[in-house]
Amino acid sequence: MRKMTRDFRANAEEACQDAPLRGILDHATRYFQGKRAAALSAFPGRDDHFARARAARLNALSRLPQLLEELEKNATAAGVHVHWASNGAEASSIVCDIARENGVRVVVKGKSMITEEIELNTALQQAGAEVWETDLGEFIVQLAGESPSHIIAPAIHKSRAQVADLFREKLGLVAEGKSDDIPELTRLARVALREKFLAADMGVTGVNMAVAETGSVILVENEGNIRMSTTCPPVHVAVMSIEKVVATLEDAADVLRALPRSATGQRMSSYVSVFTGPRKQGESDGARQMHLVILDNGRSKVLADPVLAEALLCFRCGACLNSCPVYQTIGGHAYGWIYSGPIGALLGSLLLPPEETRDTPYGCTLCGACAKTCPLGIDHPKMLLALRQRSAADKGNIFGTMHSFLARHPLAYRASVAVAGAVDPQLNLLPRLPGFAGAARFAQSRRLPELKKPFSARLRARQKIRADQGFHAEKENEK
Amino acid sequence: MSRDVILSALRAAQAASPITVPAPPARPLSQPVDAEAWDRLRAVLEPLDVHLRLARTPEEAAHFVADIARERGAKSYLRWESMPANVDVDAALSGLNRVFPESAVDGRPCPKLGQVDLGITGAHAALVDSGSIVAVAGPDTPRAASLLPAVHLCLLPRAALLPDVSALPGILNSHRDANGNLPSCLNLISGPSSTADIELVLVRGAHGPVAVEIIGLDWDE
Repeated sequence: MRKMTRDFRANAEEACQDAPLRGILDHATRYFQGKRAAALSAFPGRDDHFARARAARLNALSRLPQLLEELEKNATAAGVHVHWASNGAEASSIVCDIARENGVRVVVKGKSMITEEIELNTALQQAGAEVWETDLGEFIVQLAGESPSHIIAPAIHKSRAQVADLFREKLGLVAEGKSDDIPELTRLARVALREKFLAADMGVTGVNMAVAETGSVILVENEGNIRMSTTCPPVHVAVMSIEKVVATLEDAADVLRALPRSATGQRMSSYVSVFTGPRKQGESDGARQMHLVILDNGRSKVLADPVLAEALLCFRCGACLNSCPVYQTIGGHAYGWIYSGPIGALLGSLLLPPEETRDTPYGCTLCGACAKTCPLGIDHPKMLLALRQRSAADKGNIFGTMHSFLARHPLAYRASVAVAGAVDPQLNLLPRLPGFAGAARFAQSRRLPELKKPFSARLRARQKIRADQGFHAEKENEK
Repeated sequence: MSRDVILSALRAAQAASPITVPAPPARPLSQPVDAEAWDRLRAVLEPLDVHLRLARTPEEAAHFVADIARERGAKSYLRWESMPANVDVDAALSGLNRVFPESAVDGRPCPKLGQVDLGITGAHAALVDSGSIVAVAGPDTPRAASLLPAVHLCLLPRAALLPDVSALPGILNSHRDANGNLPSCLNLISGPSSTADIELVLVRGAHGPVAVEIIGLDWDE
């Protein structure tokens, strides 16, 4: 998708006015929170399980270069072709080369945020391949030419009627019977995509975890589209960002205790698949060729940052989105990039160029609901606050400098307020002064205080009026 | 090239800001597999719309297989070559057409198997806590059998029951081949394929099976 993070402020304001969107978001975030709460209340030892999942992820970050080398060695030994990519363009070109070498015409994709991040579909299409998103939500979003609006449910912003229209217009598929019956719409997608799975030359997936000690790739899903994408086509390409590695199968098992419960409230997702290399001799299905692309795309820089490195703990359960009052109000698209909500504000700020994400760290009320919800103990508000401090420290402006001086000198403050109060009591002119662009932006989104009189003076005046009225009232009673 | 750039950047990051990992609490004890394990499994499977039938004898299991095929209106089936001993699935399904993975076209197994009504598998293990069937891929245990047919029927021996996902490393390690290599694919299957991607309305039957049926083989082998 085209990155629109620059427009975050405007997008968010627009989204605030969108009543239908609010209804959808209310329903969706409550649905997920309800499922999650029910699952966690029936999860003995929850805190210990979450602590172990955090330790597994933290352990991975603490030994990242060593574990990636170990992963490479063991995956290669299992017959996997391992590739490394510094950035998205390099990763895309690696996948396109694999497609070209294998004469790939049709690609089926499992849902993966990482391939969205590197805009792989565009690259594959430019290389001449037909690319199908096969997760139902991603499929809908792809048909609509849009981007996902939630990590777990990419198309929550679409109604059943809109989906029925899309299927009719883009695929010529018309439901039997009631046209916007959801099981029937799901069946239509199943039939349409079954054809693609069977015809596909290559399956592309993300990676939920890669296990260093065995070279295994673990994928978690509910629809079976990832199993189809890895069982039928002759080539499987898995794309992972560097932080997806875990040290051991034990660590992977600890993460699997926490991930489905926190994401969808399931004890286990419908399918968890552990792949260690391509199909072996004698097997009748599964990819004959397996590739693993290990992508950095800015993450090694984040790892070097003592305050922000923990953002890389995230395993994309989406629980922080559902708990976030900002996400609940503006939804996923306003963030302007594929990652939304608290973790999205963080990842956008960390992975995209600073000039594109100036406003992103401000998409947070600092209420702390996300940090409380996160099973891995990520403290999103603390990190967003640190990002704000850094962005403010980078560029001092005259407004800030002046205010800082006045705040430290009470006499000068009173004098300047007196002057401003006489000249511009409503502070209407202030934002228009040259050099006060920042103030203008500030003023547009807030109601500025009036400077007519200090509060103490207004209070005294009010008390006097009250006293006078009381006096008159007594006079009235005497009559 | 990028490999070295990434690894050296990560090593530099590690040196500049090392991460310490406090020792985590001990993993909470797993609930042991005991006499109530079938009941607990049934309770976990019920909300997943998975029906568990318990067979006391191989004959009863074969009857259940025939019942399920009839209830589902199945005309064809695909099954693992290696199935739990004593249950004569082929005899139970004598009126149905058995499809073999070998009859695949141009090296692709899936096109023909996609039309099959019933996929029958055993289970290398099952996790009671999450209602998960464990299927390890191999020459006699194709992945497609639990994926492509509309209905997946699993024959689950009592000895396969394990407490929870903490058993996963042990299961994988017990399936290493003669050279010590792990199996190419292990699937945890917890209910039928499902989606709630349209308006968060749950639908059973996305891209994999629409239904999963389990027959528990409740006898000593």
